[in-house]
Amino acid sequence: MNWRKLGRVFDPSEYTLPNGCKEYAQSPQALVFDDFVRIYFSTRALDPANNKFLSHIAFADFSKDLRNVIRVSDHTVIPLGGLGCFDEHGIFPMNVLRHNDMVLGYTCGWSRRVSVSVDTSIGLALSHDGGLTFERCGDGPVLTSSLKEPYLVGDGFVKVINDVFHMWYIFGTDWKSYAPGAAPDRTYKIGHAVSEDGVNWRKDEARRIIADRLGESESQALPTVCGIGGSHHMFFCYRQSFDFRANPDNAYRIGHAWSTDLENWTRDDSTPLLEGTPGDWDSDMQCYPHVFESEGNIYLLYNGNNFGRHGFGLAVLER
Amino acid sequence: MFTWKKLGKVFTPCGGTERPWLKEFAQAPSSLLFDDFVRIYFSCRPPADENGQYASRSAYVDLDRADLFKVKHVAKQPVLELGGPGEFDEFGTYPISVIRDAEVFRAYYAGWTRCESVPFNVAIGVAESDDGGETFRKLGRGPVLGFSPDEPFVISGPKIRHFEGRWHLWYIAGRKWKVVDGRPEPVYKIRMATSADGIHWERHNRDLIESRIEEDEAQASPDVFHANGTYHMFFCYRYSSHYRSHKHGYRIGYASSTNLTDWTRDDTKAGITVSEEGWDSEMVSYPHVFEVDGRIYMAYLGNQVGREGFGLAALDGDLK
Repeated sequence: MNWRKLGRVFDPSEYTLPNGCKEYAQSPQALVFDDFVRIYFSTRALDPANNKFLSHIAFADFSKDLRNVIRVSDHTVIPLGGLGCFDEHGIFPMNVLRHNDMVLGYTCGWSRRVSVSVDTSIGLALSHDGGLTFERCGDGPVLTSSLKEPYLVGDGFVKVINDVFHMWYIFGTDWKSYAPGAAPDRTYKIGHAVSEDGVNWRKDEARRIIADRLGESESQALPTVCGIGGSHHMFFCYRQSFDFRANPDNAYRIGHAWSTDLENWTRDDSTPLLEGTPGDWDSDMQCYPHVFESEGNIYLLYNGNNFGRHGFGLAVLER
Repeated sequence: MFTWKKLGKVFTPCGGTERPWLKEFAQAPSSLLFDDFVRIYFSCRPPADENGQYASRSAYVDLDRADLFKVKHVAKQPVLELGGPGEFDEFGTYPISVIRDAEVFRAYYAGWTRCESVPFNVAIGVAESDDGGETFRKLGRGPVLGFSPDEPFVISGPKIRHFEGRWHLWYIAGRKWKVVDGRPEPVYKIRMATSADGIHWERHNRDLIESRIEEDEAQASPDVFHANGTYHMFFCYRYSSHYRSHKHGYRIGYASSTNLTDWTRDDTKAGITVSEEGWDSEMVSYPHVFEVDGRIYMAYLGNQVGREGFGLAALDGDLK
């Protein structure tokens, strides 16, 4: 599997974004239309109460060749949750797919904690206007912490295969301080749930479906699954759970696994091998992959340095 | 109307140096009957931390079965550990409801975490005992009943029962956080779920008890007792604002059902309210009804939601 990098295709600093957002275009997720490709992403505003970030969903519509931005959303795509709700302090990411006459949005909602920085859960929102705006189904989450998955359920990616909804997501396994007095860092792993209706989910609870490459302290995030050549291929990102923000050696890289039965996954990080050029936008980090198909091509969207602060880029599968 | 005869306060928290975690409060009593004694589980608090915040613990007191005002034993340690960093029960386990199912002692409890925009969030955990109900080990690090689209936060106040061959859990679910004088106050309603195994729950997803005093009435402690072919629920309710007072504080309500799911509220039947003076003169709350040797009792909290302990009342007549 050879991937050809097409470079950065969206730089948020070149556009005016809704909700007062500046910088960050994280976790790009595609919805393909006849005439264009809509790419949703999470961008950030500052919370006036405390100068902390609030992540909001926005989108950019691209020409079908993904080279030109046609427009950028100028309105609120989905409002954040109310006081005390799981998605009060941000939605990052939102996975979108068409189902019947709607677009389903699976949100990862963030709410701040005291002893640790945050908890997350997965919500469902529906769009009846082709993905321009979304309305949440209830104030609470559809997938959240449970007996064996104590916290940090997030990053849902949903795909309907043979009439069954499959969700790949992440769940937290650890909050740990790696140095005396340091704030706790989190570790999370990729899991799997299924559903008949996309609302009521059965988790394969606490089963880590992707083997660790960096050991127990590997964090795995943002799974995305695509059928390629008769197998299911999952892309995700992984990193060390500590010193991963400033140290490129511990930072996110894109990982890969494949499966023929959706149960057993074989990890093989030798593809996509998106090594960055020193000094380039994705030289120190590659993260938050999203794979999609358009016009017979398979594309990989992803973020580069600083978790997508400076936008997202694209690679295409060469076959 | 039922006639409850108040017997007085039966337990006052005073842990001293041996039990610093039992400094004050004895909240949400729930009973378990043994041969020689009645064990009453409750939740209590160590001194508040430097920010004035509490981390509730749960414990028990064994009352002499022949004379419930005779304390035979007080737990030497809390029955549950607090959760680890980031876990749902890191900052409190309150309340607790214990059931004996064959030889298994199982506890359902509410675990508390602390949040930034609102003071806390709550979800329900499950634990089992290997030592006859003296201590419990959690069946997982996460909640057994957490949040859902229709029940977004503050899942608390579990009461576990076994009726008609199924596990029944009555609990409360947060409806909204209402900002009163700049402070978020939770509004919650009584709900239920049922289960074949006590682990996988089917929620009924609707309010069981209609609100009476105001739309934002908060309801708690849904305590269900079966007698004379009817399910009797005693619970408590309060106003959404300024409820730490006589005027707006907790009172005890009543509802009945014949099928466990459809409930008819009639607070005029409850038959117990605040006293003219004394430990339960400002509010009465967190009722728990239980039977010992043919007599029906209600354990309940008084002023400041159990800060000074809990009391007992005995039923005159029948529950019908």
